[in-house]
Order: sequence, then C-alpha cells, then structure tokens
Amino acid sequence: MHNNKKILPFIYLLPTGILLTIFMVIPIIYTFYLSFFDWNLIAPTKDFVGMRNYIEVFTDPVNQKVLMNTFFYIILLLVLNFIVPYVISLIVKFFIKRMQGAYKIIFFIPSLFSLVVGAMIFSWLLNPVSGPVAFLFRESGFVLPNWTNSGGLAIVVICLITNWKVFGYNFILLLTGLGSIPKNIVDATTIDRIPKWRMIWNIVLPMNKSIAIYVLILTIVQGLQYVFTPINVITTGGPYYGSSNVLYHTYLNAFVLYKTGNASALAITTFLIFLVLLYLEIRFVEGRSRYE
Amino acid sequence: MSDNNATIELKEITKDFKNTKVIDQLNLKVAAGEFLVLLGPSGCGKSTTLRMIAGLESVSNGEVLIDGDDLKKKANDGHTIAMVFQDYALYPNMTVYQNLEYALKVHKVAKDERQKRLESILETLNLSDYRDRLPSELSGGQKQRVALGRGMAKKSKIFLLDEPLSNIDVQLREKARDEIQSLHDRNKQTIVYVTHDQLEAMALGDRIAVMNDGIIQMVDTPENIYKNPTNLFVAKFIGTPQINVLPVWYQDGYLTMDETKLVKLDRINSIDPKDYLLGVRPEHIKVSKNSESEFSVPTKVTKIVDYGRYIQLTLDLNGQHVIKAVTKDIDCKIDDTVFIRIDERTSIIFDKDSQKNIYWDRV
Amino acid sequence: MNRKKNALWHLPLMIIGIIALLPVVFMISNSFKTLQESYQSILSLIPNKPTTINYTTLNHQVNLARLAWNTFFMATLVTLGKLFTGLLAAYAFRYYQFKHKNLIYLLFVATIFVPFTIVMIPNYLVIAKLNLLNSVIGVALPQLCDATGIMIFLKTMEKIPGSLFDSLKIDDIPNRRIFFNIVLPILKPSIISVGAMFFINSWNEYVWPTLILKDKSSFTLPLALQNYISSEGGTNFPLAMALSSIMIVVPLIIYLIFQRYILNSISNSGLK
Repeated sequence: MHNNKKILPFIYLLPTGILLTIFMVIPIIYTFYLSFFDWNLIAPTKDFVGMRNYIEVFTDPVNQKVLMNTFFYIILLLVLNFIVPYVISLIVKFFIKRMQGAYKIIFFIPSLFSLVVGAMIFSWLLNPVSGPVAFLFRESGFVLPNWTNSGGLAIVVICLITNWKVFGYNFILLLTGLGSIPKNIVDATTIDRIPKWRMIWNIVLPMNKSIAIYVLILTIVQGLQYVFTPINVITTGGPYYGSSNVLYHTYLNAFVLYKTGNASALAITTFLIFLVLLYLEIRFVEGRSRYE
Repeated sequence: MSDNNATIELKEITKDFKNTKVIDQLNLKVAAGEFLVLLGPSGCGKSTTLRMIAGLESVSNGEVLIDGDDLKKKANDGHTIAMVFQDYALYPNMTVYQNLEYALKVHKVAKDERQKRLESILETLNLSDYRDRLPSELSGGQKQRVALGRGMAKKSKIFLLDEPLSNIDVQLREKARDEIQSLHDRNKQTIVYVTHDQLEAMALGDRIAVMNDGIIQMVDTPENIYKNPTNLFVAKFIGTPQINVLPVWYQDGYLTMDETKLVKLDRINSIDPKDYLLGVRPEHIKVSKNSESEFSVPTKVTKIVDYGRYIQLTLDLNGQHVIKAVTKDIDCKIDDTVFIRIDERTSIIFDKDSQKNIYWDRV
Repeated sequence: MNRKKNALWHLPLMIIGIIALLPVVFMISNSFKTLQESYQSILSLIPNKPTTINYTTLNHQVNLARLAWNTFFMATLVTLGKLFTGLLAAYAFRYYQFKHKNLIYLLFVATIFVPFTIVMIPNYLVIAKLNLLNSVIGVALPQLCDATGIMIFLKTMEKIPGSLFDSLKIDDIPNRRIFFNIVLPILKPSIISVGAMFFINSWNEYVWPTLILKDKSSFTLPLALQNYISSEGGTNFPLAMALSSIMIVVPLIIYLIFQRYILNSISNSGLK
C-alpha cells in the first residue's frame, strides 16, 4: 500500500511523460544537434559545420531582415493583442454597468474560427483592388495602398488578422483577472472618492499584475506562432521575406529550401528568446507576487 | 451640525434586488456624534442599509440625507464618510503607511499634515512598528487596526463600520472593541456600526437598531431594548441564554398555563381573554427549593452548568416545556424538583398572533 | 448626463463587436452570391438572388464528407488524448506527494512556451519513419497531451476540499472509486469546456497538418480551404467563403451549446 502510493502518481504521469519525451524533449535535443550540421532533410549524410549556422542567423541579410520583422511583429502584437484588450477590459469592468456578458460572448466568437478562415476573409475585405474596404476608400476619394507589395504593411494586416482571432480570448482572460479584485477594495476607493483613473493606476493595475504579465507573454509567444497561418496563406513570407518572421523562416528553411541546419539554428534561437520570456513568466506569475 | 460630525437621515428607504424587497420603507435618524449600532441576523439587510448610507448602493426609493443634504451633492473630497469593511479591503499592493496615506494624498492634504496625523494614528493603534509592511504580512488583528486607522486618518464626519470585528480572534475582540469605543469618545464622529453580535452591540451603541427581514424592529438604548423589547423577535435576539417563552392563557386577571396559575396581573387589566406568549429572561426566573407562594410551579432539573459567576439550570416543566434559569446560589442535583416563580414586573406579554409586546400597544 | 457618459463608453465596445462579427456576416452572405454579384454589389449584406451554386460547385470539386470526416476524426483523437492524459496528470499533481513535484509541474507548464518550430523537424522525421505521413493519425499523435488542460483540471480539483479526501480515505474508499465517483463528476463542467476548446482548436488546426498531410484525400477542412486561396490573387471568394461557412458550423454549434462552460474555462486557465 505504501509502495503503491509512491508509484501510482508516476503511473498517472506516464502517458503525458512519454508523449512529452518523444515529441518534445528528444526533438529539442535533436534539433540542437542538427543545428551544427549542414543537411537537406533527406540525404543520408550530414556535414558537421560547427557554429556556422548560428553565425548565419545573425549575419545573413535575409535572416537579419527576418529578425527585424520579428521584432516589429512583437511590438505590433503587444499593442493589438495586449494593450487594446486590456484597455477594453478595463472599460467593460469599471465604466459600464450593463451588457458585460453580451460583450464577452460576442467578442469571443472570432476565436472559434480557423485562422485560415480569418486570413481568407481579410484578404477579401482588404483586397487592394476588389475588396469592400478599397471600394469604400475609392468612394471617399482615397486609395487603399497595395499592402501586399510592402512588407511592413503586410505585417500590419497579418497582425490585424490574428488580433481579430485572439482579441476576445485575451479580453476574457484580462477581464477575469480584473473580476478577481475584491469588490470591497473597489468600494473602499469609492468611499474615499478616489478618481477612477487613479484607482486603476494605483490599485487595479498593480493588483492585476500577475495575470497581465501572463497574457503579455502569451501574446508574444503564441502570437508569433499564430501569425504563421496568415503569412503562409496570404503572403508566403513575401514580398521578398518582407512579412516573414523567425518561425515562418524556420519553416521555409526546413520544408521549402531544405536547409535543415539553418532551420534548426533559427529554431534554437527562437527557443532561447522564448526561454527568457518563460523565465519572466515563472518569476512573475507562477512564483505568485507576494501580496496575493 | 459641527465640523466633526453630521446627522444621517434615512427617509422611507426601499431597496429591491431582482423583485425582492431587501429593505422596506425604512426610516432612521442618527444624531450628530451618536454611536448607532445596526444589529440583526445575517441577511436582514443591515449591511445593505450601511452601504446605502455610504452611497455604494443606490436606493430604489426614498432618500439618504447627510446633514440634511443628498450625499451626492456633498463635496467630493472624501472627507464626509469613512468606512471599515468586514474583510478590511486594504490595498494589497501598498504598505500600512501607504494605505493610511492614500486617500489623503489623492485629496491633496499637505505632506506635513499627513505625516502628523498618521504618526499619531499609528501610535494610538500600536502600528508604528509595522508601517512598512504589506497587508499580507500582518495578522488579522493588525489588519483590522490598519483598516480602522485608514478610516480615522480621513477625520470624516461619519464613520461606518461593517462587522469590523467578526474576522478576528475572540481574545482580541474585546480590546478592539475598547479601541473603537475610545476612538468615538475622543473624536465624537457619527458612527454607524453593523454587527450580528448582540454583546458588541450592547457594549458599544448609544442606541441599537434591531433589524430583521429588511425592517427595523426597534431603535432604542441597549437597556430599553433588553428590558422592554417591542416584539418577540427583539426579545429573542437579545440576551443569552435566550428569553423563555411560555404559551399562556389570560382569564380573570391571571395568566395560566396548562390550568396552572403562573402570574397575577396587576399592572394591566382588561385584556382580551385569549392565548398569549409570556417572555421571561432566565435571570428573572426565581428558583427555590420549596414552594414559596401559590404561583410557585414545580419543575425537574435536567441539566446544571456552573459558569463560576452563576449557575445555569435547564428545567423541565410537566415534560412539555423547557425553561432556562440563571441563578447564583442554589444547591441542587439533576432530577431534583425545584420551584420556579415568575414576577409580573420582570416579564413581558406578547400577543400570540402579532408577536408584539402588548405593553407597547398601551403606552 | 450620467447616462450619456455611459453611452459614450459603449461606443468603442459596439465598434469592436461589429469588427468581430461583420466579417463573418459578410462571408456567409457572399457564399450565397454568384461570383459576378460578389463583384458588383460588394457591400450588400443580403444577396439579390441568393444562390447555392457555390455549394454545389464545391460539392463537385471536393469530397466534403471525406474532408469533414478527416477533420472530425483528427479532432476527436486529439481531444480524447488530451483529456485522458491531462486528467491523469492533474490527478497525480493534486492528490499525491512525490519528489520534485513542483519542478515537474513547471516543466509541464513550460511546454506551452516551446515554439513549434523547434520540434517540427524531428517530429516530422518520426512521423515519416512511422509511415504516418498523409494520415490524420500522424497529425494527432504528437498532440495527445496539453499543459493547458492539466492546468485547468488541477485548478478545478483544487476547489475540492482536501478534507473530503481525508474522509474518503478514513472510510477506506479505493482510489479508483474516488476518481470515478467523486473527482470525475465534479470535474464534468471543466471536462466539457476544456474538451470543447480542444476540439475546436484541433478542428481549426493548420500548421502541423500542412506538414504531414500532402495528399488531397487526407486533407482536413482548413487545408482544403487553403487550396482555394491563392496568394497571387484571383481567388474565387464566394467559393472559398462557402467552404468557410461549412467549416465554422461545427465550432459555432459547440459554442452555442457550451458557451458558458467555455468562457469559464478560459477564465480558469489564466487565474493563478
């Protein structure tokens, strides 16, 4: 019986453990291994090239461009998928009294749909020639720029598509965080006649810090992966890698250009960036802030 | 009207929550500088009433007047009302000192003045050593004192307290009670204090408003509430052990129970001959070993609890009624027969249907 | 005055609501327009002459039943796998003490932060080795566990008071029965909601399937839809929109039925 108790939890953890080992742990190590080789995914032999692939990550002009794009993606995603939903959740929580439930239900609906669907609809809506937005622009005397020709604009459109999908999800997460702030604390500020914006700044935001950081990091980590779909569906990274990011470029290297070593080095680089974010997550979220 | 305090007046207040009346046409006046306790069982509407005074809850009907004015018209400087919440509602991200300081800072009280005020409050509440701690690093009693201090710091005219002592240890409660009492003695703010604890209410209140089912049953001094409750609810809610209630019949100047004459009524004559309820507090039941008069009734002792200062007896009357009596000196054992006597002057007669104190109707 | 101020706050919210829903409304309406009409009356939300031509064309061009089955089969496998592994793992974390428990839990949670690019090459090679390319089983296999599920289940289990388990142990109830008679029923709402989310996400999945499923007969709905979108322009939008409209029916129905559960479970996944 006593022995049983020691072994049982590991039996329960076994399925997850095996799957994670085979499809997560070993692959990470293997990708790390591959990042030191020149290989094309099919050939029987791999050539050891040392750090060359890593050097290329930072010296190759295309890679540099892609890294810059990634940075641009992160900034845009933070604004669109974190700051905007946060502001909106604050409005819903503290500035309106009715319809909160309705907004939650409606805002969440786009999260139900595949990003392929989103990419398709938006490439129609924003089609520079025949789309309804371009049509409205023309009617009012403007011209919708052909965003497919510009890497920067394409990135904006791609981020908008993911924003359409992710907004409701993040909004609900943040709103829940705000909802867990005890009502009495809000009441106490009402009694003290603290203006609402000061209450939000001095009390609500600090109290909601841990969930906010969770959503913020999730925004970056998942956002960079979410944009993969619209990139692949609409621009395939173009024009000339202008809308590609590290993750998409890894995919291109691996499965289109068959430069497995380069892809692996890029993947490891991405992983290191994410690990830093993960460290922040553990520090601020899993570690619980001391006043919770 | 003075600088330190304000009057509160609730006029015909009604509060509906989804079609149920939580408060029904409530009227209440609190004098400036008065310490009023709202007492009642949980769910009776006392907290809602307090929150309506605070302006946290809107009234469905009626008016809340502070110094004769609608609260909303009062200056927005936050100096009119302070409130202590049951779970204290301290700002978790601020230290003790910052908690006390916050409202003052927002309302631009000068730094020197702030410091002076807060130092003296921390001193009074014994919190000086904890000024830089976060609420999560404090004990329940300390948190309660911080909450109290936060209310004091504002020097408001009205101080509202919502069950401030219910979350701290029993041992600390009496001390905290004294603190609140001396705070009131010093500052003479108008205080409305919500509690379900009758002892707290009796100890603190200048007057007590007993509430039940969203209706104020009685507002009076603690003494009057104890001695002369308006109705059976108030009588039962106040006092431990609870008041004894015996079903009686009135006939020809006597109250009888099961054909036994219990009391001869001299103070009152000409009430209808019908069923009544007779309320007698345990300490007013006279217990003796021998029959002392024609109204002595024999009972059997079923339980004896010696509290040191007094003895509490549980008595069985005819196997039908249980009577609690409190006495100082009687030497008896379980299963002994003792005689009880009820005095007209210390007993209360309630109408059986309306449950009202019938003396009240006559006054 | 107060009311006006309130209405002002509703304005941005209404606009966001419209941005959220209008594209979908447009999509459904266009799927009932002919290609010609979709160009001519570009802004109209109600087709002049509603037509099902796009749907019938679609039906000729692709095997809709096959696509739906592939997608459904894959999503079901993934959902059941994730629920099974997640429930067991959460149960172990909640009710047993073992060495390095916190570390192991953190490692599980950390998997959320692993980018798919780092595992995609080796996993592709494994699936190829297993001869599972062009099979939805190959898509499902690496995805049978999910840390989010473990997190949410654990959170729900934490709401069951420990004293309940102490009393069950005193009564000598075997673990198996505790799990099936007590834990599982209490977990039912979160199983429904987490399951619904897993299913919807898997139904919509695109990235990993594009690597594994190359043969058209093995396609899932998102892959088929991608085939109708051309990055060079010239997409037949009404046709693509018809396929999209078919695709979104399943997630929408699930959402309509389990809406409250789903929103709650998202809330739970974020609360620490």
